[in-house]
Amino acid sequence: MLSVWVRESPTMFAFPFILVVHAWGMGLLAGANAAVDLRILGFAPRVPLSAMSKFYPVMWFGFVINAVSGLLLLIGYPTKALTNPVFYLKLLCITVGMILMSWVRRRVFPRDAPLTGNIKAMAALSLLVWAGAIVSGRLLAYTCKHLLGDMKC
Amino acid sequence: MLDESLRELARWLSHTSLASFMSGAWEWPIAESLHFMGLSMLIGTVGIFDLRLLGFAKRIPLSALHRLIPWGIGGFVVNMLTGICFLTAAADQYMYNPAFHLKILSMAIAGVNVMLFYTTMFKKVRTLGPGEDAPMPARIIGGVSLTCWLSVIACGRLLTFYRPPSFHWCFWC
Repeated sequence: MLSVWVRESPTMFAFPFILVVHAWGMGLLAGANAAVDLRILGFAPRVPLSAMSKFYPVMWFGFVINAVSGLLLLIGYPTKALTNPVFYLKLLCITVGMILMSWVRRRVFPRDAPLTGNIKAMAALSLLVWAGAIVSGRLLAYTCKHLLGDMKC
Repeated sequence: MLDESLRELARWLSHTSLASFMSGAWEWPIAESLHFMGLSMLIGTVGIFDLRLLGFAKRIPLSALHRLIPWGIGGFVVNMLTGICFLTAAADQYMYNPAFHLKILSMAIAGVNVMLFYTTMFKKVRTLGPGEDAPMPARIIGGVSLTCWLSVIACGRLLTFYRPPSFHWCFWC
């Protein structure tokens, strides 16, 4: 029933609105992550890194609204995502991104540990997987084969 | 008259070499991916700056957050360039699209708002240390900025649902 509502509800608050929320969450999650990663990699060195620990609630907020909105989109068009290998690539990128996010946070905050090569490598990998999550998410629209049940895209 | 010249402009844009470049299989999705990354950079820096003005994460000195703004501007430039690619390649899909009109309007308000910020409030807030509140006019500017950028994202995401000629509800189209 929820699946049908996501697809067919005539209100603005179903499918289009869920997509909008998903884009907002992406901006918060990937954007705040990228800012911390770039700072760790040595850009904008005058920004106090310790102050950036406050970015983590923003990232978690973005993650939660995207987990919910993403689940709703999946419930709306399960076949479309689950039959597409790109979707699993996207999930992998997000999983790695979230693990790196927690790992970097533990290593860097709150004790302002020195930024070792290890931490920088993880920050670079984090940038890469968030970019990967965005690209694969966008490509879902172009690599779709099965929309719903037997329906082709 | 205006309609006639808009049509003429759309026709001309569709014959540019940029338009034919964008008609390849991968150019459009790649530009879209860049557009989404630019959006993330903008909201991850300017959006967080706005949140600080509004009273969130007050332990961060505003001057520290302001140093991230160039990345937000970088994201915006990427999005202007990729946006021009989209507009050139499918001009008629945007010119007559109410979501696009609202997107441009939101950006214009954000533009006036940011000028207002730098001419009136920036000097007052740049010295704000940890824990200090921004004055009320600066909070309002932060709220307007955040609202405008969230609206720009929303309108951008909704573009595809309001492609002409499916805009029956749009009274100005």
